[in-house]
Amino acid sequence: MHRFKQFTLALFSLLHCVVLTTGSNAADISSADRDFFEKKIRPVLVKHCYECHSADAKELGGNLRLDTREGLRTGGVSGAAIVPGKPDESLLIQALRYDGTEMPPEAPLPEAIVHDFSKWVTRNAPDPRVSKPEPAKKPEEPPSEFWSLQPVVNAPVPAVDDSAWPHNEIDSFVLSRLEQAGLTPVADASPQTLIRRVYYDLVGLPPSYVEVRDFVSAYERDGESAYQHLVDELLSRPQFGERWGRYWLDVARYGESNGNDGLGRNPTFPHAWRYRDYVIQAFNEDRPFNEFVIEQIAGDLLPAESAEQRDRNLVATGFLAMTAKPAKAMNNNFAMDVVADQIDVISRGVMGLSVACARCHDHKFDPVPMRDYYALAGLFTSTETLWGVAGHEKLTAPPTDLHVLKAAEKVPPPEGFVETVLVLESNTGKPKPIPKSKWEPGTPLAMGVRDAKKPADCKLNINGDSRKLGKPVPRGFLSTLQFDGAETLTVDAATSGRLQLAQWITHPNHPLTARVMVNRVWQYLFGAGIVRTPDDFGKYGARPTHPLLLDHLAVRFRDAGWSVKSLVREIVMSRTYRLGSQVNETLMREDGENLLLARHDRRRLDAESLRDSMLAVSGQLDLTPPSGSLIRHRDILINLSGSLHQPSRHRSVYLCYLRNSPPPSLAAFNLPDFRAVIGRRDQSTVPGQALYLFNNPFVIEQAEHLANRLIQEEQTPTERIQLAYEQVFQRDASSEEIKQAEQLVDFTFRETQSNLDAWSSFCQALLITNEFRYLD
Amino acid sequence: MMHSRRDMLRTTSCGFGYLALQALCGQTQAASSPRQENLTAKTPAFPARAKRVIFLCMSGGPAHLDTFDYKPQSGKSPHPGSVFSFDQHGESGLWISELLPNLSRHADDLCVINGMHADTTIHAQSFLQLHTGDRLRERPSLGSWITYGLGTENQNLPGFISFNTSKASIYSSAFLPAIYNGTPIGVNGEDMSQATISDITGRHLPYSSKEKQLEFVQMMNRRHQEMRTNDNQLESVIESMELGFRMQMSAPDLLDLSSETAETLERYRVGKNNKQIGTCKPSDFGRQCLLARRFAEAGVRFIEVNHGSWDQHKNHRRDLKANCEATDAPIAALLDDLKVRGMLDDTLVVWGGEFGRPGLSPDKDKDATGHNSRGFTFWLAGGKVKAGYTHGKTDPTGSRAVEGKVHFRDLHATILHALGLPANDLTYWHAGRDHRLIGPEGGKVVHELFA
Repeated sequence: MHRFKQFTLALFSLLHCVVLTTGSNAADISSADRDFFEKKIRPVLVKHCYECHSADAKELGGNLRLDTREGLRTGGVSGAAIVPGKPDESLLIQALRYDGTEMPPEAPLPEAIVHDFSKWVTRNAPDPRVSKPEPAKKPEEPPSEFWSLQPVVNAPVPAVDDSAWPHNEIDSFVLSRLEQAGLTPVADASPQTLIRRVYYDLVGLPPSYVEVRDFVSAYERDGESAYQHLVDELLSRPQFGERWGRYWLDVARYGESNGNDGLGRNPTFPHAWRYRDYVIQAFNEDRPFNEFVIEQIAGDLLPAESAEQRDRNLVATGFLAMTAKPAKAMNNNFAMDVVADQIDVISRGVMGLSVACARCHDHKFDPVPMRDYYALAGLFTSTETLWGVAGHEKLTAPPTDLHVLKAAEKVPPPEGFVETVLVLESNTGKPKPIPKSKWEPGTPLAMGVRDAKKPADCKLNINGDSRKLGKPVPRGFLSTLQFDGAETLTVDAATSGRLQLAQWITHPNHPLTARVMVNRVWQYLFGAGIVRTPDDFGKYGARPTHPLLLDHLAVRFRDAGWSVKSLVREIVMSRTYRLGSQVNETLMREDGENLLLARHDRRRLDAESLRDSMLAVSGQLDLTPPSGSLIRHRDILINLSGSLHQPSRHRSVYLCYLRNSPPPSLAAFNLPDFRAVIGRRDQSTVPGQALYLFNNPFVIEQAEHLANRLIQEEQTPTERIQLAYEQVFQRDASSEEIKQAEQLVDFTFRETQSNLDAWSSFCQALLITNEFRYLD
Repeated sequence: MMHSRRDMLRTTSCGFGYLALQALCGQTQAASSPRQENLTAKTPAFPARAKRVIFLCMSGGPAHLDTFDYKPQSGKSPHPGSVFSFDQHGESGLWISELLPNLSRHADDLCVINGMHADTTIHAQSFLQLHTGDRLRERPSLGSWITYGLGTENQNLPGFISFNTSKASIYSSAFLPAIYNGTPIGVNGEDMSQATISDITGRHLPYSSKEKQLEFVQMMNRRHQEMRTNDNQLESVIESMELGFRMQMSAPDLLDLSSETAETLERYRVGKNNKQIGTCKPSDFGRQCLLARRFAEAGVRFIEVNHGSWDQHKNHRRDLKANCEATDAPIAALLDDLKVRGMLDDTLVVWGGEFGRPGLSPDKDKDATGHNSRGFTFWLAGGKVKAGYTHGKTDPTGSRAVEGKVHFRDLHATILHALGLPANDLTYWHAGRDHRLIGPEGGKVVHELFA
């Protein structure tokens, strides 16, 4: 506050002085003054400042030029750099003193130099430089030449030598690259491999033994029709939305608690699950992706024909309210931290472009000037974000309202429900009563956003510090991202402008949105994207391995009404998708990373699929979606609660995704922390995963369930072993395998004298093999 | 000759520059068979000074001018420098800040590098570069390169452990085989006292049955792999199943501090200084240091312990003091114990963070600092480095290194050198070229640091 006052004061007196000093000009300068300037001032400016603050600067810092007399006096985004005669009020001098602003940024200049500058300003800053100030270089660069910002082009399908090979257009793009490289694709995958692959990719679950057997025999009669039938059937299952919704929940950094606020507190988001259900439903209904994006950014501003639709639109905006917020206490930037996350999830999540750096400086790598950041920020500072009561702890975040849903069912807490976790006084550590909710217990509520009462532009935050304010930046989008039709979309001053942002992002000519989404879909089906950095299509991101294919898919996606299911279908019907995963020496040598797609990469099941598969083959999986979430009635700080997780037989997507407290049955396999956009999860192999497979109670329980089933359903060891292989691997056991399995069971029985332990050990062994956990 | 041999090896399969290296250094290994990736201890390329590394990682950018790089005021007007008082310690007369009274006892063990410099003042990037040599992309971590080069002495434990760690990219083996991946214990910013390795024990089966079960699983895995050639991933899983199994036997004992005396726990301040004060997070640093000693004794090759954050933009004096307090006694106790056990001789201890900070003027109340990557401090101890020695210097305000400049790449080269690994030749073939820790730019071994 103190500093802010000082700053406004400085600006104020500036205005006076500029008027007062306009009379004196460069020609009047005395030779002593000229000497002083040339010896003490100019060399320092040249050496330490011009790099960022001159006509030659690559990107003009703070829009401030120090290479002209006028530049110093007119100043940049924070106002004039000097107040002639008043060193203490001159921003330049304050910056050199590292008082508030710090320049040069690397380290302060020696005190003697600072002293010279101060003296110079006291003498009214005589400056012999006469050059007329060129108009300061606008931060808006011309439309970048960068590949991802170019319009999407519909490239002709390339001709290939082996014209019999492609099944569809995708294959021609892939084969053409392979032929250029002198490589040949491997053989197609076997039907057994293919059905398992497409099951996991489309619904995240293994097929059953019978399904595999039936498919293989149908495939032998008519492969194409059997496969097409299978794909269409899987696309229509409700498990499709659960599988594909989970991918989007990674992008949306979905979490059911705030995560550590930096001071150890972690409040729950008891209503976040509604957004999860919304996402799953959207993928199941194949909601056009452009509409899906618009609902999430501006659902509250859309018209609705029914209470149900209104509810859905409001819940969708939960996308913007999932922020992992740093504590409010002692954080002047809290509001702008929330905005930063909202900008990040939209820019990286939807557009594959990193904008976050421009919060503090013109983006060094990608063409995003600071002004653009604050043009976007204005949309969100004009928006109220509704996250709820934040565990009744004001120090972590101020409590907010929530959306009250009209059509959703009212679900009161179960009879006798009493919150058992005590909320503690933050200063004394003593228990305090749980505050009464402002809503009737069970009122259907949702996180989300709505327009602020008085939408307004956001002032530039100098160096990203919200106490150091520059000029307001008119609300808008990214100036470097120009495309046909963009000019018609401008912010309606009476609203936040989020709706126009959403329309701008999903405009058919927007160069990034469709490309980024088709790349994500490709990656989910192949293990790696055409652009291998799915959240970064910028300068430091990877370049597309198949740029024409990427554009081809983007055009198809857009023209087919942004249908994700159609896109998935087109890709999985390609021959490229159906290739085997075997790799020969030539491919290993010429294309070890499989950039050219001559084969299908082997993949590990992700955390959710592994858990779901164990439940499925042990017979325990409950496919009905549960209602709500474990924490739907609990507004608490989970750091005070111990583990909230409970055993569950539902699909993993319905587990409680608390940040900093992941479901224990998923945590070992590279579950992200859900604090920011995750386009691609890490895939490390660490001994901790082996330990999970050996000792985690969840794994052991599933092994016991399967063992019990073997014992109950079959009599002889051979039959039991056979059934186990059918269940776990959807194939028959070889005679050698049966022999080895019998030895294991016998050995364990001798050691434990327990039939259940003996069979459980064998079942666990099958569940933790690579055959079960990897997908060819 | 050298080249043709290496080229030939390269074409056989991916990534075994080190095999070539070993062959060149006269190791016996059949050139026709690809190197089997495993954690078996390997002979260094030339006589090593140290066998293992303990990296005391101070994230956030420790203020070099208020810890080890003493900048007294000089000249007429006050200038940025040290705002805490310094004294000379030990026979060497090393200058150490008043904030580190315990570590000061070890002045004659420290080799202080005051001329460190790095490329960027962006935390995440510089932190990544400190760990992997690269600012932007995921690359193998220092500990992964070292275990790749040297294996490890205890086959029942990972070769590389990272305590209280943050992002996976910091301890990742990236494109190196996954057995060289660091094993994380404890999560940055959370209470270390409960930190353990998840699922490290299970009592559902007797040991002999578990062993038999593993045998069966690995038999299945081998059969599965035989039909799927050229897949490093599957091989890595098989290796990590073995390692995980052995860890069940050794790690729980190592993590259990109940066999340590009360006096030891007190010396390390286990569980003490464990409050959040400004940027200083509760890391139970004492526990980490004691565990580091125990894992080092057990033969782990590379151990990283973490404390942060030293990024005190505001409340510089208070928060820096808290950070020093949280780490001073534990580090001193660790050096004491290594010495008593005769291990300091072959353990290289490394202290530092991603960059330093500009100095404050003692005559001003200003209590906020920023980042400075142009000059800052690291120190080494043990591993036959010069003790009680100061290398390089920064300018009078500590703003940039002016003499004896050491870049992260040079530091990496030097650490590898101490372990008997040639930084230029410790390579791995990946994505069409040989990669190495010190990158294409290369790093220079700072020979002056060694006794």
